[in-house]
Amino acid sequence: MTTAAAHFDAAQDALIASGAWHVDAAAALPRLSGHSVRVLDGAAITQLDTNGAWLLLNAVRPRASDPLPELRGFQPQHLSLLNLVAQHAAVTAAAVEAQQPGVLEATGLGAMALWRNFSGLVNFIGQLSIELALLIGRPDNWRWRELGAQVNAVFVGAIPIVIGMMFLLGVVFAYLLGDQAQQYGASIFVVDGLLMAILREISPVIVAVLIAGRSGAAITAQIGTMKVNEEIDAITTLGLSPLAVLVIPRMIALLIGLPLLVFIGDIAGILGGMLVAHLQLDISPHLFLERTSSVLELKTLLVGILKGPVFAVFIALIACRMGLSVSRDARSVGANTTSTVVQSLVAIIVLNAIFAVMFVQLDI
Amino acid sequence: MSSHNVIEVQGVSTTLGGKSIHRDLDLSVARGEVIALIGGSGTGKSVLLREIIGLLRPQAGHIRLFGHSVWDSTPEQMNLLRRRFGVLFQDGALFSSLSVEDNVATPLFEHTELPHPLCRQLARLKLALAGLPADVSAKRPSELSGGMRKRVALARALVLDPELLFLDEPTSGLDPISARAFDKLIRLLADSLGLTVFLVTHDLDTLFSIIDRVIVLSNGRVLGSGSVAELKQIDDPWLNDYFAARAPNGETVHGN
Repeated sequence: MTTAAAHFDAAQDALIASGAWHVDAAAALPRLSGHSVRVLDGAAITQLDTNGAWLLLNAVRPRASDPLPELRGFQPQHLSLLNLVAQHAAVTAAAVEAQQPGVLEATGLGAMALWRNFSGLVNFIGQLSIELALLIGRPDNWRWRELGAQVNAVFVGAIPIVIGMMFLLGVVFAYLLGDQAQQYGASIFVVDGLLMAILREISPVIVAVLIAGRSGAAITAQIGTMKVNEEIDAITTLGLSPLAVLVIPRMIALLIGLPLLVFIGDIAGILGGMLVAHLQLDISPHLFLERTSSVLELKTLLVGILKGPVFAVFIALIACRMGLSVSRDARSVGANTTSTVVQSLVAIIVLNAIFAVMFVQLDI
Repeated sequence: MSSHNVIEVQGVSTTLGGKSIHRDLDLSVARGEVIALIGGSGTGKSVLLREIIGLLRPQAGHIRLFGHSVWDSTPEQMNLLRRRFGVLFQDGALFSSLSVEDNVATPLFEHTELPHPLCRQLARLKLALAGLPADVSAKRPSELSGGMRKRVALARALVLDPELLFLDEPTSGLDPISARAFDKLIRLLADSLGLTVFLVTHDLDTLFSIIDRVIVLSNGRVLGSGSVAELKQIDDPWLNDYFAARAPNGETVHGN
């Protein structure tokens, strides 16, 4: 196969091309720098395809509205190919690149997107409330099987990772706290601090973050993919409500699962702390539990566990809404899944801060 | 003689999930032919197509494209081979997150060193050759009708100017008018670009209008190959039923 070559003959204003003209031949084109070409000589061209033909035509005729130069010496099949390409060449004029928005415009677009997101969430809550109101009193219409499957996915599947993470956090927290308390001979107060921190703050927040990443992302990806495959449309056409079939079971599963997981996390964290107290501070498990029963108030436990349902509602709302607002392409499934995790984490942190202030104000 | 064959399949046997699909199957396609592969559901037409384009490995046998073995090539050789054929998948398989123009330009982005604006210009040329209006190039695949998506997929399959084009059920899911227009387009491109076309189809009208030679798969082997008239001489229950499906207006066919 001969490689493509081309040179400009200034005497005849002719571009003389030879060899095999494929898409890779672009480099063989000479610089014409303003010369107008009146003749295109293709007698020595051995192979020509549409890409090669377009490259030659584009070189001799930068604007498709210009007249075609004289085509000289081409083989008949090459000539018909050139004519075919020339017919369609008008649409290939270089497009104007879209301008990137400036800082001000980007800020405005971002603010509008944020507003749409917020108003969409409010709208979604409204629809969901109507749907829930319709379902109350009609237990036959509840999706019990779907609810069971979701509880299994959200709660049972998350137990090992919750135990593992909270146990290690209990170990780390007790170790650092013990290191400080030991210097003042106040080792026993490690138990007080540990109980307060694990039950009230660490376990609810960490478990909620974990579930937002694990179940929230899964819910968005699943509902989003169903949307792409028109499964949501199929559910609607069958006379069912996607909210009742998909959203409500997931929300209730999270409502059930998250407080239970927080409680499991509480126990795992305390066990981790107990291990460190025994090994580092010589506080035996017996002494640890005795101290626990004398300082632990029920409200400390309840405050932590009752944060669970609130976090659960927000994770479910955000994850389901982002899933249902996927547009019909693969990229938006990924973008919305990311958005679910980010929004859920922000919601958890903000809600936790509100709780902290509220509990102090209420003297709880 | 064999050097003229663009596709050569020799002694291919395939077993999928314990079920024998192909048994010692042979076929060959010469340069410039427009070939249709037909067969009942489950006879392994699409499986054979996937084996020929190097997506699925047969248990036994040899497959050669342009004289190069598909399954004994190094990855580099296979990539060179892939530049020489284009594939139109059944549902188009367009990248949903890219614009139509970028979908078509993607093979150019990956396989050539041309600047991207030039790649997009060549992509628009292919879209025009595939009979699409200029304003679709900035749209997303999800905004197009089924027939337009097929044309975009055809433009993508053609963008590297392949010598060989594989089409998996090109007219399925199209209305009869679009389907016939698509048939004509394939034949026009095959003739003007000198393509070899290998298509898997169920569409009788495609067979009667644009095909040079039909290959029939049955029971894991090639039952017969030839023009439609020649195939009608074969006495096979499935083939008889297949051609009988067009009986009501079959007169025009007999007249040919």
